[in-house]
Amino acid sequence: MTEPEGSPPAGGTEAGDAPVLRTRGLGRRFGGLFAVSDVALALRPGRTLGVIGPNGAGKSTLVNLVSGHLKPTTGSVHVGGKDFTGARPWRIAHAGVARTFQIVKPFRGLTVADNVAVAAMFGPSPVRSPAQARREAEQVLERVGLGGRGGVPPAELSVADARRLELAKALALRPRVLLLDEVLAGLRPAEIDPALALIDELRRDGLAVLVIEHIIQAIAAISDEVLVLHHGTVLTQGPPRQVLSDERVVEAYLGHRYTRKNPS
Amino acid sequence: MEASTAPAGTGRGEKAPAPKGRRPAWLPWAAGAVAVLAGLGLQSQLYSGQERTVTTVYMFVALAAAWNLIGGFTGYACFGQVGFFGLGAYTTVILMVHGGLSFWVAWPVSAVVAAVFAAVIGLPLLRLKGHYFAVATLGVAEGLRELVTNVPRWTGGGAGVTIPSTGDLAPTLWLGNDGFYLLFLGLAAVTALISALISRGRTGYALRAINQDEDAAAAMGVNTTRAKTLAFAVSAALTGAIGSAYAFQQVTIYPERLFDVNITVLMIVMVVIGGSGTVAGPVLGALGIAVVSEYLRQHFPQMHSLTLGVLIIAAVILLPQGLVNFVRDAMRTRDFSLLSNVRRYRL
Repeated sequence: MTEPEGSPPAGGTEAGDAPVLRTRGLGRRFGGLFAVSDVALALRPGRTLGVIGPNGAGKSTLVNLVSGHLKPTTGSVHVGGKDFTGARPWRIAHAGVARTFQIVKPFRGLTVADNVAVAAMFGPSPVRSPAQARREAEQVLERVGLGGRGGVPPAELSVADARRLELAKALALRPRVLLLDEVLAGLRPAEIDPALALIDELRRDGLAVLVIEHIIQAIAAISDEVLVLHHGTVLTQGPPRQVLSDERVVEAYLGHRYTRKNPS
Repeated sequence: MEASTAPAGTGRGEKAPAPKGRRPAWLPWAAGAVAVLAGLGLQSQLYSGQERTVTTVYMFVALAAAWNLIGGFTGYACFGQVGFFGLGAYTTVILMVHGGLSFWVAWPVSAVVAAVFAAVIGLPLLRLKGHYFAVATLGVAEGLRELVTNVPRWTGGGAGVTIPSTGDLAPTLWLGNDGFYLLFLGLAAVTALISALISRGRTGYALRAINQDEDAAAAMGVNTTRAKTLAFAVSAALTGAIGSAYAFQQVTIYPERLFDVNITVLMIVMVVIGGSGTVAGPVLGALGIAVVSEYLRQHFPQMHSLTLGVLIIAAVILLPQGLVNFVRDAMRTRDFSLLSNVRRYRL
């Protein structure tokens, strides 16, 4: 396996020792199958945790458990030291945890600006007036590169812009924690680097970021730590270089035969 | 990240042209005020048969606008809305006949009873979606009708019940054709006004977000349970108040007519044709269907139901998003063709 390009971001190494979000023994059973089991993770301000794993490893289920869209079968979720295990999604959003969805979920009947304004109106520090919320939405849209597109319906956005809208809606909550479920999916290579730069900028602003991604090089470039999910459990966790050269990780992604044919 | 790193955003040329002749903020309010004044002015031009017909039209404007709060804005198609109508009516009957209370007391109480009932059944039922919610609410309305039919001591049962409305025994004297005309015009105006206020406020955004994607709405901090229950309760309160006024207007009421599922169907058709989730849509839909229906009744009495049915089907096929939303789309895209509209929404 090649070494990932780029190095983990410098700076902010001392930032946030106390995790703002922590899970312990988190698990969820569907029928007889544990989609996720016994996941312990900690998200710290100014740090990015990358989560990788093959299809069906439980990555999106993990986000849904943390954001309250699924109730955990086992374990706990703490935000800012308070117990939010099994809390409804809006309570977790009010605690400062924002998320994006792997399959983008725009409000199709609202303009792009109104989509973002909803978050400003109902977030942790809600803006009462829709007009004021729309002004804040325009600022967030500017930041993610959707400036001037506020008046169009989401159906007219390209795939990349729809992803930007998803991110804008999360940012308009003014969150402490950002859970990004495959925000790079469907982007062209030229669009990926600016998106990564934006995510890293948010981290430097002090957000605790969790990134789920398929593109391993991308995740290695911006993550302080990488967690590998396999069959719903944590296979390994650590600094990107170390994790990505781990034989078990290669095996999880490419299968036994690959590792046998190419003994490292 | 600089804004210029957005190729798709900048590739599309300059900003969308500033909407020409953007409608001023006061225009909808002025239109509503003019409509109410027109209704008041119209009254003196009508003879009493026409006055009763127009009163019924106002009732359906109000009913459609009330259904639109839960079925249109929130996207929870309630097929049991007539249950709140009947519940309001029978609450009024019981309070006036057995309690001897004035209509002006029974009327608001009926609205509150319907709202509380909706909030209580809403907590479990609003967890259902789509067809399941529709069928469950339909069942609730049918259940209410059975209940009313089976407690004749209170409701008169299937034989009906009469509210004393003349002479010394009447808790409130019947309001007369003129009085009920004004009452239902007022109900239609108030219902449309409440819709407009909800639509423009935070609650309106919450309801539309829930309608489009409930998980995303919850992720953005919208307390979806509270918003849905609120919409359901306000919709039920208005519908209950309308049913209450209808009971007093009819004087003698029967469960079959007060819980008639056709009333629900009419509300839904009016909202869908006018434009669900808009303020003006249900009003225009109700007026339009009432006018067309009345015209057909007078000129083609034998073909009335068939022709009206065909027209409704055609409207739903050609304008699936409703009249108001069609006009809005067409103004924005400068494309008024019905065929391209069908293509946009159906294909």
